[in-house]
Amino acid sequence: MPVDQTLGIATARSIRPRIVPILIGVILLLIATVAVAMVVIGRGNRAELLRADADHILDNPRLASKALNRGGKVFLANCAACHGANGRGSTATGTPDLTDQDFLYGAGRVSEIEQIVLHGIRSGDDRGWNLALMPAYGRSVPYAREKLPSLTPREIDQLTSFVRSMNGAAGEDPAAAVAGQNLYQGHGGCWDCHGRDARGDQAIGAPDLTDGKWLRGDGSRRDISRIIREGLRGVSPAFRGRLDPADARAVAAYVASLHHPKEKP
Amino acid sequence: MNVPAGETKAGLRTWWRPDVHNERRSLTLCAVAAVLGLAIAGGALFNARGTRIAGVPPEDAAVVNQSPILLSDYVAQLKALYNVDPSQATPAQKRAALNGMIREELYVQRGIELGLQNDFIEVRNSLVTAVESQQEVEANATLPTEQELRAFYQDHLQNYQPEGLMTLTDYLAPDLASAQRAVIAVRSGKDLATAMSGAGLRSSGATDDGDEFYFAAEAHIGSRLFSIAKGLHDGQVSDPVADGGRVHVLAMHSNRQPVAEDYGQARDRVLADYRADKIARMRAGTDHFLRERADVQIAKDFR
Repeated sequence: MPVDQTLGIATARSIRPRIVPILIGVILLLIATVAVAMVVIGRGNRAELLRADADHILDNPRLASKALNRGGKVFLANCAACHGANGRGSTATGTPDLTDQDFLYGAGRVSEIEQIVLHGIRSGDDRGWNLALMPAYGRSVPYAREKLPSLTPREIDQLTSFVRSMNGAAGEDPAAAVAGQNLYQGHGGCWDCHGRDARGDQAIGAPDLTDGKWLRGDGSRRDISRIIREGLRGVSPAFRGRLDPADARAVAAYVASLHHPKEKP
Repeated sequence: MNVPAGETKAGLRTWWRPDVHNERRSLTLCAVAAVLGLAIAGGALFNARGTRIAGVPPEDAAVVNQSPILLSDYVAQLKALYNVDPSQATPAQKRAALNGMIREELYVQRGIELGLQNDFIEVRNSLVTAVESQQEVEANATLPTEQELRAFYQDHLQNYQPEGLMTLTDYLAPDLASAQRAVIAVRSGKDLATAMSGAGLRSSGATDDGDEFYFAAEAHIGSRLFSIAKGLHDGQVSDPVADGGRVHVLAMHSNRQPVAEDYGQARDRVLADYRADKIARMRAGTDHFLRERADVQIAKDFR
């Protein structure tokens, strides 16, 4: 069939200007649709995460996958600077290991970790954990909030012997350890936080002194003596107001997963 | 103005005809709308319930007059009241916890409406503490760089010295001459105990517990004697010192001057001090800002 070339060219020119805006419109519409869909799905995921029972998120594989994916990114951006990218903390700086089974506060449940993420430890947030602080017994004022006695260097040595002997360290003077125990249970006041049995108190974050795990240092005479003398002043910031609530929950789930609990809490 | 009867009838006839202009209808509708608007405004004024938002956000358990009751607070409240998680709580426990929180929120809002911060010292104190705590939270959430921390450590090196330690004996002499004799004997190489007892000096007992931190030694022997003791080396005795009507001779057995811990050892305290310093600066800044923008007028006789 003969083709009118002139007409053909003319037709193509007249059609192209119409197709281009239509194509642009369709692409924009598609982008808008995808964006809206992503927002709707994102909101749905967020709502699902927040409305779920925090302590059972890790039991739901679909929800756990979303929480861990998001939580890992939040952890790297906000927590890794102190706790390390692998969450193992550092005994050099007294930053807790988040991968072990030694819990300073609570039992490692997602809801408990979420509270710490949101309100912190000694962060100044009224809803945070602000009760306990290891006093500096080698200072003239060991504890700002409460009147506590300073200890003499000999008393600090005796307490060190007591703590080390509880953890099976060899070479400690038994007499010094007994004197240290008397101090621990007596005017040293250590029992008030760490408990009469020295197993700590998770309600105030006082560490177990008998389990051979050390928040700072390696349990050497030098390290324990220094902690008693200079105290500990670690802080976990409150991320309320800085993190979206869904991100706070996601990172709490992620941290809980790092602990690899032997049994479900 | 008198309206002719014919016009009135025509106006009534065209009342329901929207295609015909009717001034009476326009005015009447305007008046009705105005009255209706005023009635709604008046009703809302006396029965105000606040603006409702569309649904409760997923991070909240409830919203009371647009103030959220956070889900995390609700969970904490359930634990505080009944020691249970939401999954274990009974419907009655959940209701009671939430109702309690809603009541608290309503009372807080009512308290603000009534301006109770002007009347109750506890409320005022709590508000001041809350504002200060907010600054603390913000400061604690900042993570300075290692470079900033090291610079802070260098600038405040004296804060990272543990207390010095000394073991000394504070001898009391019967008189200045005996003290001089004892000091000369020790400095010429005689045994300390023999020299002191030979000249009639005896320990005051103030520092006989062995090693002491500097602050403890100062508390035991006083600032004047402590400042002398601090400068003594191991095995050295001081010149006789008259203090408080008595003559003292200080014998230093061991004096360990404070040495600053290295940065790695002190890092946690450096970070805590850095943040404390930041809080202090933020508070000073806030004080200045609030003062500057406030209109504070002080009576003449109180200036």
